[in-house]
Amino acid sequence: MTKSMPLVGSEFVSGFRLQTEWATLIAAAFFFGKIGAGLFLMSLFTGSWLGALLGLLIVLIGKGGAHLLYLGRPERFWRGLTKPGTSWVARGFWAMLIMTVAGAIFLALPAGSAGWWTAGLIAGLSAFIVAIYDGFLLNASPSIPLWNTAMMPVLCLFYSLLGGTSLTLFLINFGLASVTIQEVFLSNMEIVLLITNLIVVGLYLISMTHATAAAKESLRLLVRGTYALPFYSLAIGVGLVFTLLMAYFVGAAGGPGVVGLITAADLVGHYFIFFLLLRVGVYKPVLGQLTI
Amino acid sequence: MHLGMVIDLKRCVGCQACTIACKSENGTPPEVLFTKVLEQVAGEYPIVKKKFIPVLCNHCEDAPCVRVCPTGATQKREDGIVLVDHQKCIGCRACYVACPYKNRIFLKKGSLKKGYFGKQLTPFEQVKYPKWQEGVVVKCTFCVERVDQGLDPACVQTCPADARIFGDLSNPESKVSRLIRQRGGYQPLSEDNTEPSVYYLE
Repeated sequence: MTKSMPLVGSEFVSGFRLQTEWATLIAAAFFFGKIGAGLFLMSLFTGSWLGALLGLLIVLIGKGGAHLLYLGRPERFWRGLTKPGTSWVARGFWAMLIMTVAGAIFLALPAGSAGWWTAGLIAGLSAFIVAIYDGFLLNASPSIPLWNTAMMPVLCLFYSLLGGTSLTLFLINFGLASVTIQEVFLSNMEIVLLITNLIVVGLYLISMTHATAAAKESLRLLVRGTYALPFYSLAIGVGLVFTLLMAYFVGAAGGPGVVGLITAADLVGHYFIFFLLLRVGVYKPVLGQLTI
Repeated sequence: MHLGMVIDLKRCVGCQACTIACKSENGTPPEVLFTKVLEQVAGEYPIVKKKFIPVLCNHCEDAPCVRVCPTGATQKREDGIVLVDHQKCIGCRACYVACPYKNRIFLKKGSLKKGYFGKQLTPFEQVKYPKWQEGVVVKCTFCVERVDQGLDPACVQTCPADARIFGDLSNPESKVSRLIRQRGGYQPLSEDNTEPSVYYLE
């Protein structure tokens, strides 16, 4: 089927159809959501007040802003809260809202108080949802087989934790945050997460080789087609391999410049992997292959 | 009542009369097609086979678009017709992406400012466009205004080959039910479990 069915656009021909609606801005919203939530979670873990504040701001301004820019009717954005019972968009919106409110209370209250603990717990739980709900959102519909897999939330979670760890290390090395745990622990955690992400991406792609024809078409576009160059160079090369090598062989010992470079490379890879996964989403042909 | 459509692929001649009838009935802007006829070709010259596949919103029983809509703008009526309330739609396009059939259209900003003949709208477009809104998702409604008056959708009425048949799927004696039963009608992408209300006959 993959060989004979064409990849079509808006022409009146039956075939695989490329997803075109969710691209740059949605990828940006996913990116900011994951790194912001990851940074917030890591800041709760490391006790960094500034990190938690930055995490909140990244989610609120970065993710919220990208979503508002994308909406066809941004003035009605509040309606997006209406149906959390069935819609992951609404659930994500609620999680973002609760994270922002609880996070702000957590930052405003004195550390150690009962309210501080409660607000921190609620904000942490909602940040966890913000970090992974994109995966459930993509996974929820059968329309695009590349996304319709349980690997998606896992991928989101590990990328979120990696982004949060990289940004925390960045803040520490630039003297912007002091943390309650040792920096070397965070550096090791970053290396472990980079290796984990490489494995998860690998497993995800391998699982797609045994999936439906549309998933295989998506995979072809990603690893051999139009999007192969940015995938190998930016998402894998810069985002994971270069970052891993730099973090393992140089790391924080190289000074703030190297840590900044590692963080930037990680973020570039993070954005591009989800951008590319959105771009190569392919719908199945409406009816099966015609045979002679 | 469960309204649905049967499309007889043996009868379809690919004339696109349904496409034009739909545009005429709904007065949709350029590039917005609620239904169209796709072509599918198999084989190589001189042994070639061609099939025409009319596509439209399938008004699924378990519609992913209804499920993913965060605002409740996409709803299903009791008779099975899936409609979008343009006043509630925020243009997030979750439904657009979730539809396995890719039968939803987003009305981009500026799409109602120009018609088929440039920036000046024709009198027809001036009459039809006010019912649309920019920045929302639109789709086939099975011509709900006509159906509510007891008429067939415009594409069904127009089809010169009688390839589209509209009726009550819940009535076993209706023409659509009999055709599905007798000719082995099947749903598109049935493996996705969306239970489309549109069936195809080979």
